[in-house]
Amino acid sequence: MSGAGANVCNRVSLASALTVLQERAQRGATRENRGMHVRYSVLPGFGPTLGLTLTWLSLIVLLPLAALAIHAAGLGWSGFWHEVLTPRVLAAFRVSFTTAFAAALINLVFGLLVAWVLVRYRFPGQRLVDALVDLPFALPTAVAGIALSSLYATNGWIGAILAGWGIKVAFTPLGIVMALTFVGLPFVVRTVEPVLQDLPAEEEEAAMSLGASRWQTFSRVILPALAPALLTGFALAFARGLGEYGSVIFIAGNMPGISEIVPLLIIIKLEQFNYHGATAIGTMMLMLSFVLLLVINLLQSWMRTRHHAQ
Amino acid sequence: MTITVSQVTKRFGSFLALDAVDLHVRSGELLALLGPSGSGKTTLLRILGGLDRADTGSITFFGEEALGLTPRDRQVGFVFQHYSLFRHMTVHDNVAFGLDVRPRKDRLTRAEISEKVTDLLELVQLAPLADRYPAQLSGGQRQRVALARALAIEPKVLLLDEPFGALDAKVRKELRRWLRRLHDEMHITSVFVTHDQEEALELADRVVVMNSGRVEQVGTPGEVYDQPASPFVYDFLGNVNRFECMIRNGEARLSGLSLTVPATAIAPGPAVVFVRPHDVELVPCDGDAGAGLPRARVRHIFSVGPTARVELDIEGHPLEAVMDQDRLRSLNVHSGNWYAVRLTRPRLFGAGTRELP
Amino acid sequence: MLSKAAPRHAERPVLRDPLWVRWSLTALALGFLALFVLLPLLTVFAEALRQGFAPYFEALAEPDALSAIRLTLLVAAIAVPANLAFGVAAAWAITKFEFSGKSFLITLIDLPFSVSPVISGMVYVLLFGLHGWFGPWLRAHDLQVVFAVPGLVLATMFVTFPFVARELIPLMQSQGTEEEEAAASLGAGGWQIFWRVTLPNIRWGLLYGVLLCNARAMGEFGAVSVVSGHIRGQTNTMPLHVEILYNEYNFVAAFAVASLLALLALVTLAAKSVLEWRWGEDVSGRGH
Repeated sequence: MSGAGANVCNRVSLASALTVLQERAQRGATRENRGMHVRYSVLPGFGPTLGLTLTWLSLIVLLPLAALAIHAAGLGWSGFWHEVLTPRVLAAFRVSFTTAFAAALINLVFGLLVAWVLVRYRFPGQRLVDALVDLPFALPTAVAGIALSSLYATNGWIGAILAGWGIKVAFTPLGIVMALTFVGLPFVVRTVEPVLQDLPAEEEEAAMSLGASRWQTFSRVILPALAPALLTGFALAFARGLGEYGSVIFIAGNMPGISEIVPLLIIIKLEQFNYHGATAIGTMMLMLSFVLLLVINLLQSWMRTRHHAQ
Repeated sequence: MTITVSQVTKRFGSFLALDAVDLHVRSGELLALLGPSGSGKTTLLRILGGLDRADTGSITFFGEEALGLTPRDRQVGFVFQHYSLFRHMTVHDNVAFGLDVRPRKDRLTRAEISEKVTDLLELVQLAPLADRYPAQLSGGQRQRVALARALAIEPKVLLLDEPFGALDAKVRKELRRWLRRLHDEMHITSVFVTHDQEEALELADRVVVMNSGRVEQVGTPGEVYDQPASPFVYDFLGNVNRFECMIRNGEARLSGLSLTVPATAIAPGPAVVFVRPHDVELVPCDGDAGAGLPRARVRHIFSVGPTARVELDIEGHPLEAVMDQDRLRSLNVHSGNWYAVRLTRPRLFGAGTRELP
Repeated sequence: MLSKAAPRHAERPVLRDPLWVRWSLTALALGFLALFVLLPLLTVFAEALRQGFAPYFEALAEPDALSAIRLTLLVAAIAVPANLAFGVAAAWAITKFEFSGKSFLITLIDLPFSVSPVISGMVYVLLFGLHGWFGPWLRAHDLQVVFAVPGLVLATMFVTFPFVARELIPLMQSQGTEEEEAAASLGAGGWQIFWRVTLPNIRWGLLYGVLLCNARAMGEFGAVSVVSGHIRGQTNTMPLHVEILYNEYNFVAAFAVASLLALLALVTLAAKSVLEWRWGEDVSGRGH
């Protein structure tokens, strides 16, 4: 078994960045832990499972992402910015940023509200409502896209009402915000819910026994305790909104400069076989995602320390 | 079955869990590894069981080198601190597991396994609960299932990690006596880990006192309690009064006190004196017996049960004495009374002895 | 399971909000969910059945629709078991052993979640497309990855990569290694430990992870859209077929296929709720 593990590991050397981890896997496989990087365990299978994990990870995720990075590096510094700093690309980034931000903001407020109601109150059908919150995770984005699009079209259920008030949603940036609100909805609810649930009731009782009003207790005791979770949920929803494609393109109208989002622009460039353009924009997006991922990780570790401190 | 541990060292990162430990386990004995948390006792037990691996040193089981052997080959029964019963298996299946997973050629038939499991459950008095799941058992019952499960593989050595740690006081006492009886019947070489001195002293044939990854003392309960080999053992086992002192001209002068104790067999210099509370004798001040002895004032009396604990103040230092109720009455001990104090069996440790943690 | 740790706030009289506050907040939250979640869901079925059941089933029985369904099932049938095996292996290595670089490895496994689906597809075009790294080689050997089934499978695997591992890691972490160590001390070998001790303890969490992975695999749109080439009847999965029908203003057919995907989502959610409800701790790893 350990021999097979070492074999698997040897193939990993494709991804040179992971050689350190790989060595450790082999060391585990041969059950020698001279360096003490792997603590001895009586349980078997460390070498093969870590080997498989690293191989699979390298082939499916890391190698393709490395291909993108290398393509981008091939463009050179000026070539890269030449592709990114065009009015159409910048406009797409502006659209993506503002709509994702607006949608995350809506979800921040309403996500907290939904979490609050689900945790603190009891009402009939609660379990069903709780399950419904996860629908945006489960519903394919294309399905959500066409549903929202026909809902908000001027002859749709909601679009017709709004049209009567002179508000147009479908085929405008407002439509994008609606779609991104839908896909980002579970994030804030699901990050805030467990924290709200674990919040000790004694803390609130203490605040009220010290003379705080219900509102003061909420704003000065509960809200600060929820802040890390709220921000994490916001960042998750924002990150999801930036990259979202399927639910948006049907409702957006996709007018360059007005309602064209970055992921769509990448696809357009690819369809025109403009790989340079697609690569440059894609790399920008990827770097943004990594920055957001870093922020989210930091927020989450903040959340954990906050949570445990209680 | 004898086990010999020699020069076993184990590090976790920069933490030295075991520091060149030597130990000999005699055939058929019940041995306690006693020490505070972090003293290395559980690490030593896990290394004995093959669950962890020593960095250096060797272990022999009956003269045969065992460090490279898997738990299966060592024929060791391990009882985990939190029992670690398989929660999705019934009591019966838990006990049968070790027999079930044997290679086909060594495996008993299904009926034989079942019979053996039934016998074991009789032994641990759980036969009626064979079809229950671990979650449906009390702590004491789970512990007995864990024991039956470990015994099923007919181990040559039984290793128990804090076997009574998670139980409440009453169940712990009952189970302790039961385990002692079981051991007396089966005579299987057993090593158990505990941080509870009472448990170690009451249950074990011999006690190994551990501290900071080292063995401080090995001996019968009487030996380690009455003749502690180091200040640590003295301090760890039972209540004790501790005084800094200076040794000069064959006597030890207690720092800040006008009290001296004889110190002939120890080199001059700073030292520590230990006195057990029941070795502190109170003498009435008025009689001749108290002449020349230092005086102490009674601060508090805790008098519950057959013995009383008296807290005294001796020249600004606290001192604890223990006596039976008769003695307390005959001395007419009350808060605020003054008594002469005699330390009957002081124990001195010179500066060269290992320091306390 | 949480109520034991912290008593329900609703049961503490001081912390009970006034009735009007409770009612208006609940109404507001339910209104928001109705508008943003329930209504889109109902729209799918309403639009699909707008002209009754006959056109609905006709649309589903259409050859292109059937081939899209077949392709979707095929892609999921490859991607899900592959990620299942990967997820179990990764969770075993990560939760049962101590090694340095572990949290970095977890971050890498989570990476596909934070990458836009469009980029997930694009990277494979850059690798295997006509002008990609392996493009000329593939062409010389008459192999096609992009705009063919292998590309769809790869993109789907990328997108669904973390699902199983992510469900299992916290669950197995909370269960610790003690039961496995006990099994080892009783003489069980590696496979025996996994099949007889570990798997029974993680089966519900594993099932949950597989369900989520499958839902995403069948419903993925952005990533497969990039690598598919949109060849009707050949490289169109169900979501892609929905797009084509919708863009051709064939709304009933588009929503008919979409309704199948919506049903899949509902079944997934129902199964998830049942799993969480019946085996809450065994699914999420909380409460241990």
